[in-house]
Amino acid sequence: MIQNGINTLADSYITHPVAQPEDKMQFSEEAVAELEEIISHYPERKAACLPALWIAQREYGGHLTPAAIREVATRLGTSQTEVEGVATFYTMYNLRPRGRHHLEVCTCLTCAVMGAYDVVHALEHALDISIGETTADGEFTLSEAECLNYCGNATVVQVGDHYFPDISPSNCLNLVEELRKSEKYTPALLADSLVKIQTPGASLKGGGSFKAEEI
Amino acid sequence: MSDRSLTQTEVSLNPLSSERVNITIDGISLSVPKGENVIEAALNAGIDIPYFCYHPRLSKGDAANCRMCLVEVASTAPDGSVRKMPKPQTACTLPAAEGMIIDTNTEKINKDRKGVLEFLLINHPLDCPVCDRGGECPLQNNTLYYGASASRFTEEKRHYPKAYPLSAQVVLDRERCIQCARCTRFTDDISGDAQLGLLKRGSDVEVGTFAHTSFNSKFSGNVIELCPVGALTSRTYRFKSRPWDLMTQKSICSKCSNGCNIKLDYRMDEVLRVNARLNEDVNEEWTCDRGKFGHDYISSPDRLKSPLMRKDGKFVEVSWHQAYSLLADKLRAAGTNCGAIAGGRTTNESVYLLQKLFREILGSNNLDCRLDSNPLPASDPLFKKSLQTGMGNKIADLEKMKTIMVIGSDLQDEQPILFLRVRKAWRFKGAKVVYVSDHLTTDSTAVSDFASVNLIYQPGSEITVLKDLENALARVLSANTADSEPPAQLNTQPSEATGLSNNDIHLAASLLAKGEITIIAGKSVSQHSQYVELYQSLTNLLASTNSEGNLNIPVHECNSLGTMDMGMLPGSGPGFTKCAGGMGTAEMLQASADGNLQVLWVMGADPVQNFHNNELAVRGIENCPFLVVSELTLTETAKRADLVLPAVSIAEQEGTFTSCEGRVQKLFKAFEPVGSSKPDWLIVAELSAILGAKNLYFTFNDVLQSISKEVPGYEKINPGTIGDQGIFRTVPAAG
Repeated sequence: MIQNGINTLADSYITHPVAQPEDKMQFSEEAVAELEEIISHYPERKAACLPALWIAQREYGGHLTPAAIREVATRLGTSQTEVEGVATFYTMYNLRPRGRHHLEVCTCLTCAVMGAYDVVHALEHALDISIGETTADGEFTLSEAECLNYCGNATVVQVGDHYFPDISPSNCLNLVEELRKSEKYTPALLADSLVKIQTPGASLKGGGSFKAEEI
Repeated sequence: MSDRSLTQTEVSLNPLSSERVNITIDGISLSVPKGENVIEAALNAGIDIPYFCYHPRLSKGDAANCRMCLVEVASTAPDGSVRKMPKPQTACTLPAAEGMIIDTNTEKINKDRKGVLEFLLINHPLDCPVCDRGGECPLQNNTLYYGASASRFTEEKRHYPKAYPLSAQVVLDRERCIQCARCTRFTDDISGDAQLGLLKRGSDVEVGTFAHTSFNSKFSGNVIELCPVGALTSRTYRFKSRPWDLMTQKSICSKCSNGCNIKLDYRMDEVLRVNARLNEDVNEEWTCDRGKFGHDYISSPDRLKSPLMRKDGKFVEVSWHQAYSLLADKLRAAGTNCGAIAGGRTTNESVYLLQKLFREILGSNNLDCRLDSNPLPASDPLFKKSLQTGMGNKIADLEKMKTIMVIGSDLQDEQPILFLRVRKAWRFKGAKVVYVSDHLTTDSTAVSDFASVNLIYQPGSEITVLKDLENALARVLSANTADSEPPAQLNTQPSEATGLSNNDIHLAASLLAKGEITIIAGKSVSQHSQYVELYQSLTNLLASTNSEGNLNIPVHECNSLGTMDMGMLPGSGPGFTKCAGGMGTAEMLQASADGNLQVLWVMGADPVQNFHNNELAVRGIENCPFLVVSELTLTETAKRADLVLPAVSIAEQEGTFTSCEGRVQKLFKAFEPVGSSKPDWLIVAELSAILGAKNLYFTFNDVLQSISKEVPGYEKINPGTIGDQGIFRTVPAAG
């Protein structure tokens, strides 16, 4: 933010940052600390744009609002248009609100061969929505995903931080029922594992059977 | 790390390394600076390589979007065999290296170009017959020269709503866009507001602003000219004309004192658009939005078409003969009891003849051109030395400075082209900037964005700030601690008087201590009541860093400097010569209010609107026994006149303007004056003849030659030497 005194942005940034006013910043203290830690790995702040957007998606409740993009731009000292360009480039940043659980069905080659579209159609039928839509009660959003790199257990469905392998048209309904019991809001979870670079946890084991507490 | 992550690029726009390498392009051996891009080497040698996204003034390394400039590159192996790189390379990002053999016109390259153009045209609507760009479109031209005659694409093209309004002036057609990113790079590299970006991905990519906000850059019009297709168009010019139906004339922008070279594109007697005209030393190829979109007054229906005389309280149209007779009678009757105020918008020729008429024929010395509040009388030696001489540096030299201090100026608004130079110096030449002001602006781009130190002081404490800065600079210079940590006694506690901590002052002083500094001072300095003290502090800062003379206090109107040079000041004749004193603007208005001034001639000025003391201006203008106004339209002052003479705009006359850096540049005549309006100089010349002048002037050249002979400093300026790009007048020693 441009202010009186030494301008730390002058040597680092080429563009005019339109600052988010201090009182509208929403990042929690932990999020700011996390972001600063990530930034410290790079020669310039704006290099941390992708992880910063993940954190923003988490902090702003699952999708990137204009305010979230502006906050990232302000914290990285770059222009909001540039950050919006990044956010709109990648499909995994949500620009619109998602359901409480975001079901991403892998439909790439291996999963497709193993019947991914049967799963998609079963989910569409069960939830009464099409690909890309959210249920009327706001519980589920259904989308296709490109290869999730879990071909050994095709078809795989990603929900938040978790992979659910060996999904078939029959057991996918079971997954939906278990997810309904979970309290969590999965789109907002996503940043945890990606930013902290953890491997997906227990949900990878025991394909086909799910428990609400795993999610 | 690649070059594009460096924000303050060490390489200049033209990285003319002293080391040279030998390359061969299409069999022609060339010796070019090492690192020069192949496309530049080829274009300099007259070898054509087609391109869209490359632009010499935008940063390199960000281009290579359009793939149009592909060339084949080979090198000679140690065994003498020539080995080609397996794939074609983009000439716009390929630095020349020793022994490179480049082919731009092989069968393979021609096939590649056809392919690239076929891709670029896949989503392009090919609506050339209704497109503003049609006829001057790089995409059209390159397709004609290098493209295939037909496309194999039979699928649906992408569709967007037409005429998406990016701003009040700029309209976007996303269907036509080829995603070259010239416009987005312009807002990053040149204007600095960074408002445009490429959003989305793949075939969905579109140019846009953040969250559909308005593109309110002060330099937005430039992207219309930069766009190599018709995606960005001007709202005012949209669908108005085809380029081949336009006539073009060279001109000088009259919207501020920077003297941008422009082209007026007109049809019949209507100016349809304004484009920048290349002048490397002034505006390069940019304009500001005020200049680009602010010329509608030229073809305004409100323009005066014949002289107006007040009869029974109402204006009636009269002939020039009647107007001259009345004015001559009034002036004869008034004797020396008359005066003239000329604004900074009239040509040198007009002002020169006006002061000649008053001084030599009428014997009156009541002449002034200043409407701003002025801290100094025109006769003060310091006025002559500082405010009357123009800038200490030339605009182009600003980018050679190590440190630039901008004080008391919203530079992007007051002096847009100086702002672009300062930003270029910082962005591409490694200069550091110190910004001193009593406020920060909310403009989309400002010096404070890239200044290394911003000293935003409490309003009214400027004298203290500069004194503090002087002392800090002296301390830094004596201790030679420019690069060291601030001494321990410094703290970051803001002082109560100025609001600045002495740590910040020290950092600013450390930057200034590196030498080669220049200072640009704005309105809040030149109109400050304690101007003398401020001037002294600024010159002290410059003197202690061996940068004497680098003080720039630019004037504000397009010919303010020329008007003063021509002697439109009480007690200061043409070329700063001493002459008998007379009344200034304020005294004239006062005398007129008191009924003591028989005739007041206001030329190209609107004191009622623009004089700093509005109450006095209204009183003076309304009570004037005989007020004559030469103007383009009925301004607030002209409405109160007894006689209004219709003058002409920059498009309808020849003339010269002296820009804020002292460059005398010529206006070329585009079309005939509207109605029976006449150039100001001709009005004065004809009236002078009626009043018995000895020297008669019939053409613009007559007047310019007379100026060349009689005005010290303008000796070198005559119709033969002035050319398209203007030449500098010299500043005569103050006398």
